[in-house]
Amino acid sequence: MSSYESPVKNNGCACGAPSPYLPVRATIERTTRISETERFFVIKPSDPLLLDYAPGQFFMAGIAGFGEAPISVTSAPGRKETFELCIRSAGSLTNALHRLGKGDAILVRGPFGRGFDLDEMKGKDLLFVAGGIGIVPMRSLIKAVLGGKGYGRLTLVYGCKTPEEMLFKDELEEWKDSGVDVRLIIDTAYPGWKGPVGVVTTLIPDLEIREGNTLAVVIGPPVMYKFVIMSLDKKLLGPEDIFVSLERRMKCGLGKCGHCQINSAYVCQEGPVFKLSELKGMHEAF
Amino acid sequence: MDKQKQYRFLARPAFKALVKGLMKGHKVYGTVKKDGLPAWSEISEFEDLILFQTPAHLSAKEFLFPPRETLLKFDITNNTCEAVVVAEDQAIIGLHSCDIHGLSLMDRVFSYGAPDPNYLEKRKRTVIIGTDCFPDAYCFCASVGTMDVEEGFDLFLHEVKSGFLVRVGTERGGKLLRKFTNTRAASAKEVKELQEQRSKKESSFVTTLDAPAEDLPGIYAKSNDSPVWDKTGSICYGCGSCNTVCPTCYCFDIKDEVKADLTTGERVRVWDGCTLEDFALVAGGHNFRKGRSERLKHRFNRKFRYLSDRFSALFCVGCGRCSRTCLVKINIAGVTNELIRESREK
Repeated sequence: MSSYESPVKNNGCACGAPSPYLPVRATIERTTRISETERFFVIKPSDPLLLDYAPGQFFMAGIAGFGEAPISVTSAPGRKETFELCIRSAGSLTNALHRLGKGDAILVRGPFGRGFDLDEMKGKDLLFVAGGIGIVPMRSLIKAVLGGKGYGRLTLVYGCKTPEEMLFKDELEEWKDSGVDVRLIIDTAYPGWKGPVGVVTTLIPDLEIREGNTLAVVIGPPVMYKFVIMSLDKKLLGPEDIFVSLERRMKCGLGKCGHCQINSAYVCQEGPVFKLSELKGMHEAF
Repeated sequence: MDKQKQYRFLARPAFKALVKGLMKGHKVYGTVKKDGLPAWSEISEFEDLILFQTPAHLSAKEFLFPPRETLLKFDITNNTCEAVVVAEDQAIIGLHSCDIHGLSLMDRVFSYGAPDPNYLEKRKRTVIIGTDCFPDAYCFCASVGTMDVEEGFDLFLHEVKSGFLVRVGTERGGKLLRKFTNTRAASAKEVKELQEQRSKKESSFVTTLDAPAEDLPGIYAKSNDSPVWDKTGSICYGCGSCNTVCPTCYCFDIKDEVKADLTTGERVRVWDGCTLEDFALVAGGHNFRKGRSERLKHRFNRKFRYLSDRFSALFCVGCGRCSRTCLVKINIAGVTNELIRESREK
């Protein structure tokens, strides 16, 4: 960060585009409602440059007249024609996105930000800790890891408010079959739920963690990070062993509009994925 | 002798010829008197242009980074859009040294990463003519290294008794000067007059910072838990005036505006301010900077520390506009001096 060169390889600016604010037109290949508030989209961009993304990166997705919002990619990298987004309806834009159907156009810019470095994860046990829709970007990473070779033991700890909010249930089963130790928890007792009840951190003490050979990835609502990090610390996972992906308000994705700033870091440029040690001294991170 | 070579002498009638010449092919902006105070305005009559010694309430950033600017035009019926970049030949006359430093910082911001064509196209077509100033009670440019300016302008005019001494900053500036006016070499006497003016200016600052500019990022880095933030935040209205008047505050919101036909519209960017309550609010309802103290701390840190990491310069140019405009008299120099004092007591 010494000069003003952006660390981002692809600035989300389609080759030759007259403006980095100009989105690329994409077509919705398939869309399914997967929970009360979440809708899943398979999107085919008109420019293949948008398929060059890493797990952890995000797109600005929008509709003319409604604006755009940052949405994490949820599909594995390396796909040839489409990528997947999972969008929670939370306002006028996301409600409008939920009304889109197969064949409709969606406007996208990206991919933006810094994603996960899969090479750094090779040879390590990986502990994925997801809360709520934190599973959405985590899915991209888990699928990338399952599709690759040379990783150690894989564990997913996933907590939600209710079983209904739990996303990708079929895939959770598939991941289990592929050898992932999947542990699920919900916030409060719920009819029919036989699993554990409480916050995600309650599952961490029982995990068998190989110190020095484990990397943890934490993605969830703002309130979750501090407590998960404290629990991981007790398992002797420190600032060099923990990755987080942080949510912030974003308007441009280009390191300009100022909304996503955490102290001196722009989440849309240096993040959203950070190694915990990189956030040292950044009081605004958690 | 070198110093003298730098300057050309421009008589007052020649200055008028220069402005009138510029008005033929450029939209010309300058300072006028509005309700008795300096204000930026488009200049249609040379006589309206008044070169003030103190800063206008607002900075001139609006001419390169308008408060509302169209980025895209869209059509809702088929969900398509096209990029919009508007720029025309324009000149800004009467920018002070601090303002020119501010513009250079904006240049870095909008060139960073993916270049921003909406700003950069305007910048390319903007002639910058700087003029002299004299500090009022709020100015503190001498404390942040922006009292003098060596680049970032096409022409810089220093007013002396008999007219102006002109510094040419760019080839474009030199061409305009030759096209519309005649100049002569400045005399030793005139240059001496200018040097005396500068000395007088340097010793006339009422407001100063109590630490060297290069120490400020470090002092701010240690100030996170300072009681100054709660004290200052408790009186702050969170009104965003400081963001609006600042020559280096560039944060913006992007929103879609639909026309009355309900089928077409524009994606526009509008000025936003980090001291406003909803600046860091996300869709789920979490506000990452809920309190006024946190937001004020963020703004001050952006000026003295955060952006200096990235752009290798302080983002406060010492114009004093935020202090001058603040409804509750929060003074950026005063707050900084309190932090400096605390850092020495630690």
